[in-house]
Amino acid sequence: MTKYDDELLDSDVRPTGNREEAQIPVGRSSRGRRRGLRNALGAIPFIAYIGVFLALPAISVITTAFQDGNGKFTLSNFNEAVHGVYFKSFVASIELSFVAALVAVVVGLLAALAVSSTTNRVVRSLVTAGSGVFANTGGVPLAFSFIATVGNFGIITKLLKSAGIDIYAHGFSLYSVTGLAIVYQYFLIPLMVLIMLPPIQAIRKEWVDASQSLGASRSQFWRWIGIPLLLPPIFAAFIVLFTDSFAAYATAQALTSGTIPLVPIQLGALISGNVLAGQTNLGDALGAGMILVVVLAGVIYATIQRRTSRWLR
Amino acid sequence: MATIAPDLTPSTKSNSNNSSDVLKLGRPFRYIVLTLVGLFFIVPIVSSARFSFLGNHNSFTISAYTQLFGTAQFWSTLFLSVKVGIGTVFLTLVLLIPTVVWVHVRLPKMRRIFEAISLLPLVVPSVVVTLGVITSFRGLPNIIYGTPVILSLEYVVLALPFSYRALDSSVQAIDLKTLVEAGQSLGAGWIKLLRYVLLPNIRGGIIGASILTFAFCLGEFAVASLLSFTTFPVFLVQVGQLAASQAVALSLIALLFTWIPLAVITLVFSQRRASRSIAVADE
Repeated sequence: MTKYDDELLDSDVRPTGNREEAQIPVGRSSRGRRRGLRNALGAIPFIAYIGVFLALPAISVITTAFQDGNGKFTLSNFNEAVHGVYFKSFVASIELSFVAALVAVVVGLLAALAVSSTTNRVVRSLVTAGSGVFANTGGVPLAFSFIATVGNFGIITKLLKSAGIDIYAHGFSLYSVTGLAIVYQYFLIPLMVLIMLPPIQAIRKEWVDASQSLGASRSQFWRWIGIPLLLPPIFAAFIVLFTDSFAAYATAQALTSGTIPLVPIQLGALISGNVLAGQTNLGDALGAGMILVVVLAGVIYATIQRRTSRWLR
Repeated sequence: MATIAPDLTPSTKSNSNNSSDVLKLGRPFRYIVLTLVGLFFIVPIVSSARFSFLGNHNSFTISAYTQLFGTAQFWSTLFLSVKVGIGTVFLTLVLLIPTVVWVHVRLPKMRRIFEAISLLPLVVPSVVVTLGVITSFRGLPNIIYGTPVILSLEYVVLALPFSYRALDSSVQAIDLKTLVEAGQSLGAGWIKLLRYVLLPNIRGGIIGASILTFAFCLGEFAVASLLSFTTFPVFLVQVGQLAASQAVALSLIALLFTWIPLAVITLVFSQRRASRSIAVADE
């Protein structure tokens, strides 16, 4: 803090530079190299903090993944990570995240469309506030409230049973990948609504009117204007939702007590000390694998995002 | 500007009044979708409430709650989570307010880059961060690594995607450059500027960032449990293995306590955004 304040105070001595800068149109200012350096200095505490508490741990996981127990270079950790139960957990995690994200994209999109077309102010702010709240819900409490609802002895389970429908006898289980995909909807759908509301509301009335006055039907409007406009943000949202469910740990852990074979759960078990001999750095390989999956998703996201911003000017 | 105004004002108004015209989706579609989705979100809450009051032979009882409140661990873990939360909020504000202001004043071209940096925690799942923390900070003095201080230090990073955005957008919304120049021309230093001009103007963003960060800290489970700290959510899982109705009651309390402040800030922010866009159109 003190170092930072010094920097702030120091720059205060030269207010003229600031005024000069204000007159140069944004985006074309040419500053001296020393000024640039001084400006960059103010961001150091933030960058340093991220470096120590995010980059350092992440890098240490990646480098350790390539080392054996004695610190020598090896690929055996990855060899282990892409075989057997660990490989299966990667497949299961990706499957779960893919399906959960897909369902949430469809439902969330419909909900966002419904909300944007409603005239009712109360419904509108209720859904907006609700989405903001539920998108941040997750973790342990969510797992327990679903256990209370459709768990073995959940309220709805019992209600259905008394109506003659035993969902657990028909192959449903909350404590499975399917169950998780349902529970995840609780934060994925609101997230989808939050992401899609701005692009949907950016569809201007004039475009609809213009298409209509040119003789386009409602389905033609959606085919040629609506869907092409919304497709890039939908894809981007899918990636965000995928990543969100891929990294989720708390809900799955609380719901299944760590028995479900998903990557975060396996990694958590390795961290908690359930390590077999000869698997010292296996966890790091799993961690590196998780980062890789998320980064790949992020690259796709960035590519699509660039196209989206071009669409929605 | 004056010539555009008459065109803009009615279009904004009609946008909020009969925006159903825009998408032409029809009433039944709206009602069916919103009802079904709404049910999906309400039923678990209602069921949880019912479940938590369920006694033997379907009787009504509040014993789950009374037993919880009588447990010492309930209060101690809650206290620990609150402490970690307050610490995290403090660190977040001290780190982020100067950074965000600085980026806007001195590095406006880098704004997007800093926003992207603030999203980096999304790239590294918290389980992986925890593993990295264990391998890279094991050697640190016990006061940092062995105490919940490490939780606060990490939560600042993990909550960054929410906190940074809240502050960044509130700074973006004010005319920072003019305010800074006006303050400076009146002879105020940076400390005075922050204290009397900038902080009051971004109060909304500060409150928003604080609530989001605090809510994150109260709910975070992965890092705390894997580093073996019994915070509130970790206690919740322990309870869940012994007494289901108590765990559900506890979850309900936890959910309500995070939902209420979150709902308030979402409403306040969305309303302000709406009124601002109308104000802009009216100019």
